[in-house]
Amino acid sequence: MEAEQETDMSYETIQVDPLSPIIGAEISGVDISKPLGNQTYQELHDALMKHQVIFFRDQEMTLDEHKAFGRHFGELHIHPSAKAPEGHPEIITIHADEKSKVVAGMKWHSDVSCDAEPPMGSILHLHTIPESGGDTMFASGYAAYDALSEPIKEMVDGLKAWNESAHVHRDRFGASGKLRDGDDAFPESLHPIARTHPVTGKKALFVNENFTTRIEGLNKNESDAILKMLCDHIATPEFHCRFRWREKSVAFWDNRSAQHRTVWDYFPQVRHGYRVTIAGDKPF
Amino acid sequence: MSYQTIDVKPLSPVIGAEISGVDLSQPLGNQTFQEIHDALMEHLVVFFRDQDLTLDQHKDFGRHFGELHVHPAAPGPEGHPEVINVHADAESKWVVGETWHSDVTCDDEPPMGSILHIHDVPDAGGDTMFANMYRAYEALSEPVRKMLDGLNAVHDSEHTLSVRYGDEGRFRDPEVRYPSAVHPVVRTHPVTGRKALYVNTSYTTAIEGLSKRESDAVLEMLLRHIATPEFQCRFRWRPKSIAFWDNRAAQHRALWDYYPQTRSGYRVTIAGDRPF
Repeated sequence: MEAEQETDMSYETIQVDPLSPIIGAEISGVDISKPLGNQTYQELHDALMKHQVIFFRDQEMTLDEHKAFGRHFGELHIHPSAKAPEGHPEIITIHADEKSKVVAGMKWHSDVSCDAEPPMGSILHLHTIPESGGDTMFASGYAAYDALSEPIKEMVDGLKAWNESAHVHRDRFGASGKLRDGDDAFPESLHPIARTHPVTGKKALFVNENFTTRIEGLNKNESDAILKMLCDHIATPEFHCRFRWREKSVAFWDNRSAQHRTVWDYFPQVRHGYRVTIAGDKPF
Repeated sequence: MSYQTIDVKPLSPVIGAEISGVDLSQPLGNQTFQEIHDALMEHLVVFFRDQDLTLDQHKDFGRHFGELHVHPAAPGPEGHPEVINVHADAESKWVVGETWHSDVTCDDEPPMGSILHIHDVPDAGGDTMFANMYRAYEALSEPVRKMLDGLNAVHDSEHTLSVRYGDEGRFRDPEVRYPSAVHPVVRTHPVTGRKALYVNTSYTTAIEGLSKRESDAVLEMLLRHIATPEFQCRFRWRPKSIAFWDNRAAQHRALWDYYPQTRSGYRVTIAGDRPF
C-alpha cells in the first residue's frame, strides 16, 4: 500500500467504514440532500480520494438536490447520448425491468472514457431495487496498475489507447438518445493507458473493456493481446469490492481511479434510479 | 550475392532457397563451403535435391559447419548418436515438429542448424514450413520490441519430450532427461548480427519477470505473430531432398497431412552456442 493510504485519516463530521482494504467505504452521519459545510465537504472528498468509491444509505433527494450535491465537486457533465428525465440534461435515468433487453454497464468500465475530458466522478442514487441482486462491483485502477510487472508497466507508461463510443452507444441509444452534439454523437478520444490522478498523483490503469478499442502505436495482433490481458487483469477479485444496494442508497465513485460493473442478475425485477455525473479534465 | 560454384534459387523473397550444382556426399571445397554458408546466412534455410548420402556422409557434411549435436532424448540409428530418426507411418500416433519451433531450444546451447534428409516421402503432403524470425522481430511495433529486448524466457522440454519418449528415449544424460534453459526473447545472430525473435510454441513456457497472465498473453501474441504467412516458405519434398536450416534465425513446422502414408529420413544436427 502507498504510504498515503496508511495515514490514519480522522474524520470529525462523518463516519467512514471501509468495505475492503483496497476500495470502497460506507459513509454515515451526513444528509447529502442538504448543503454541505466546508468541513463535511472536505471529509467526503478525502474519503473519496482514499477509497475511490463511497456509499451512503437512506438518502432522500430530489433531482435538484442530487444535482446540487454533485455541484459541490465540480461542473456537471452531460452524457453524449444517454436518455435524461425532462428538464434535467445532466441526469441519466438508470432503469431495468421485465422489458429490458440490455442494461448499461455490464462490462468493466470507467464512465464516458470516450470523451476528451471524461467525468471526474458519478453519483448514482437508486430508488427501486430488486429483492436481491443488482449489486455494483468496483475495481481499483491503482491496485491494477501497481500489480503489473515492471516490464509491462514500463511499456504501458509510454502508450495511449483509443476510447470509442460508437460501438457501445449507437446500438443502445441510436437516434433515440438525446444527442449532446449532433455532429459528435459518438465521440472517441486518445488517453494514456496509465493515467496520473490529478489529486493523488498516483497512477491508475485507464483502459476498459467497454470503450477502449486499440492501443496507439501497436499493430492489431499486439494491441488485441495487450488490451485483453489488461482487461482480464482488471477483473481480478483482489482489486474489487461489491456493493449491495438498498432503496435510497447512493454510490459516488471517482471515475479517474476506479472502474465499475453492474450485475444484471435480477431479471425480470425492476431496478431504477438516477445518475448525476461530474465533469473531469483531460487525462495525463 | 554471386555464387561461382553453386546455383541458388530463392523460394520466396523472405526465406528459403534451393541450391543446385553440388553433390553433398563428396567433401566440399573451400569455395563451395563458403557459398553454401553464405546462402544459408542469406536465406535461413537451403534445400538440395537428389542427394544420395550414407549416414556417415550426412554427418561429414554436417561437420563442415561445426561439431555435431546429440539430442537429449530422440532415438536414432544404432551407432550414430548424432543422428535422429524422423519417421511417420500407419502406426504413428503423432509426428515430431507439428508446432512452430526452433530445434532443442531447451538446451543451454541450442543447435546452430539441422540437416534433414528424407528418403521416403508420401505421394503428396508432408511439406515443411519455415519462418524468418528476423522478419518476425522487425514486424513488431517499437514499444513491444523495446519491452522484449530486455526479457528472457524459459524453454522447457519435459512437457514435450516426456510425453513423446517416456522411458523409450535414447537419453544423452540419464540424470537430466528433459533439460530446460533460459534464453533471451530476442537473440542476436552471432554471424549476421541481426536480431531474431527466439520464442517458440514447442519449448517456450514463460517469460521471466512477468506475471503468469502477462506472460501467457504476450507469449500467445508472439506465437500467433510467428505464424504470419508473410514470414514463411513451404518446402515440398521429393525422395532424397535435403533441407538445411539455420536454427538461430528460422523456425519450422512439419505438416502431417499424409496419414497413413510413410515419410522417413534422418536428421543431423549441428551444435550451436549460447544465445545472447
